[in-house]
Amino acid sequence: MASHLRCEQILVRFGGVVACDKVSLDVEEGKIVGLIGPNGAGKTTLFNVLTRFQAHDAGHVYYRGELIDRKRPHEMVLMGMARTFQNINLFGEQSTLDNILIGAHRLTGSPIANMYSLPGSRRRERELARRAGEIAEMLRLSGQLDTAVKHLPYGFQKRVEIARALASEPRLILLDEPVAGCNDEETAELREVVKRINRELGVTVLMVEHDMSMVMNCCEHIYVVNFGANLAQGSPAEIRANPSVISAYLGQEVEA
Amino acid sequence: MAGNEEGVRPTGTGRSEAAIARLKRSFAAQNFVLVVLFFLLLFMMPFAPGFKGWMAGQAALVIIYIMAAQGVSILTGYTGLVSVGHGGFLAIGAYTAALLTKYFAIDLALGVLAGGAMAGFVGMVMGLIFLRLAGPFMAIGTLGFAFFVGAVVNNVPLFEGRDGISLAPNRIFGMQIDDVGFYYVCLGFFALVTLFVFSLVRSGVGRALKALRDSEKAAQSSGVNRLFYRTLAFTISATITGAAGALNGLIAHYVSAEVYSDIWYSVDILVAAVVGGSAMLMGPIVGGAFVALLPFFLETLADFSFILKGVVLIAVLMFAPAGICEVIARPFRAYRRRRLERAAQGERGPERPAPPVAMVRKEANP
Ligand SMILES: Nc1ncnc2c1ncn2[C@@H]1O[C@H](COP(=O)(O)OP(=O)(O)OP(=O)(O)O)[C@@H](O)[C@H]1O
Ligand SMILES: [Mg+2]
Repeated sequence: MASHLRCEQILVRFGGVVACDKVSLDVEEGKIVGLIGPNGAGKTTLFNVLTRFQAHDAGHVYYRGELIDRKRPHEMVLMGMARTFQNINLFGEQSTLDNILIGAHRLTGSPIANMYSLPGSRRRERELARRAGEIAEMLRLSGQLDTAVKHLPYGFQKRVEIARALASEPRLILLDEPVAGCNDEETAELREVVKRINRELGVTVLMVEHDMSMVMNCCEHIYVVNFGANLAQGSPAEIRANPSVISAYLGQEVEA
Repeated sequence: MAGNEEGVRPTGTGRSEAAIARLKRSFAAQNFVLVVLFFLLLFMMPFAPGFKGWMAGQAALVIIYIMAAQGVSILTGYTGLVSVGHGGFLAIGAYTAALLTKYFAIDLALGVLAGGAMAGFVGMVMGLIFLRLAGPFMAIGTLGFAFFVGAVVNNVPLFEGRDGISLAPNRIFGMQIDDVGFYYVCLGFFALVTLFVFSLVRSGVGRALKALRDSEKAAQSSGVNRLFYRTLAFTISATITGAAGALNGLIAHYVSAEVYSDIWYSVDILVAAVVGGSAMLMGPIVGGAFVALLPFFLETLADFSFILKGVVLIAVLMFAPAGICEVIARPFRAYRRRRLERAAQGERGPERPAPPVAMVRKEANP
């Protein structure tokens, strides 16, 4: 299978801290890939590099073989990449529906034509709203479409973020700790959602997650980072049996 | 999600969805009817006894103020950028229309369009220059822009400094018009601008601007091009205020540096936008009317209006930062939201209990 997203020897320094120390990874098209490691290992920083929110000091990022080191964040969305944030980053005052519709921004067509709400753009708006409704249905948010998201409980907000990311009809989605703070029931539910996104919509998934049940159950391939550097990679079974992973991360985190 | 259809469950709650859609349509229709009634009222005003001459001129000036504030509101309300220098765009609109009228005797309507276009072009350039500025730096930058425009009209001979440029009576489509005629011209442009703003903020463009206002990071991660939309907001905002400026110059048949290098113009229209509530259609209308009419109510104490405006601005910022109209509209909005929520849950049965929020982990960075 082809490489969907690949990075080579990414180096990011924050003053004296080396957040990413020559990390490389390769996400295969159509797979669910996990990225795990202890707190502060540089997972979020690497996500920010991959989505172009963070400049890197050395190394390269490739999207479907194309060098994207110099792209800006919104261009990545146009290329088919979407993401969620570890700390929820929603438009709090706006409704769930509006949040999802903003996610669909790249499908809204020419802004110059849109401003006047001519029949063509109104038709497109209706179509986008219909699709937003379907995405909300999939994430069980249909009853909350008109609620301002700041009034929603945490677990719902996490799902709104995923819904917003899906609304751009991505080919690759990066999830930063999608089930952090969720209870067992919600975790089980989101696990199915992630699998459906991958299986039914054919979206490639790269996921950072501390919840080992989620990672081991969903991911076909896992990368482990520690102190900003690659520690191991392999199938869930290989990772679970890897002594260096156990001593660096799994042993302390969860008895998997 | 390229193969969009196959993955998504069919929507099994058709009835409540139809109810919600019906509610939303009726809310939109109610809004629209209110706006139409408002404009109908303004249209009928000249039929009131005593509405002519000076009175018509003052009413036209109020409308001009409102339009200028509508321009500001595109930036402050919907995009979250504060401009303390929109008087500069007002001046550009006024001088563009005045010079074209003086040297080329162009039609009034064309003069207004040209004034808006020129201001819009300068607004686009300003938007690009101020792109990296945020918050207070943006305010200082725009203030500097207004001072710069003031200096130019004071010192470049073309603009005839404090002597000013005097113009012949206004003609539209070849007809000479009086004060009531000019009132109707203002009303026409006001209706166009209002309709445009109404459409803009409900379109994908309005959504993108509000997204940038609420969270730049989240907006960019949704594919919103920050550079493009900020510049677009600047351009639209300056165009509207510039058109107001053109009307302001033409109604007086006179533009001079004494008027247009006055920084208070900028402050006034910002106050007008903020006091009313710049993220609402009614906001600049109420705020613009307030700022324009205040001196009349104070009559002999007209100078006192500066102080009163300041006091009102501070009070609004402290107690109703989203503006007076937002406070007035709050119960109506809450009522509509409740009806929507009830419609959403009506056919669905009760939602399952909310998950605990206590497990949220605190993280160092996003
Ligand atoms: N903007 C920043 N400025 C300075 N240091 C930062 C910044 N962002 C991250 N760091 C540091 O870089 C290191 C990697 O942080 P990062 O958030 O990427 O880790 P993580 O693997 O996502 O951790 P967690 O599992 O807790 O989310 C940490 O030591 C962190 O303190
Ligand atoms: Mg992290």
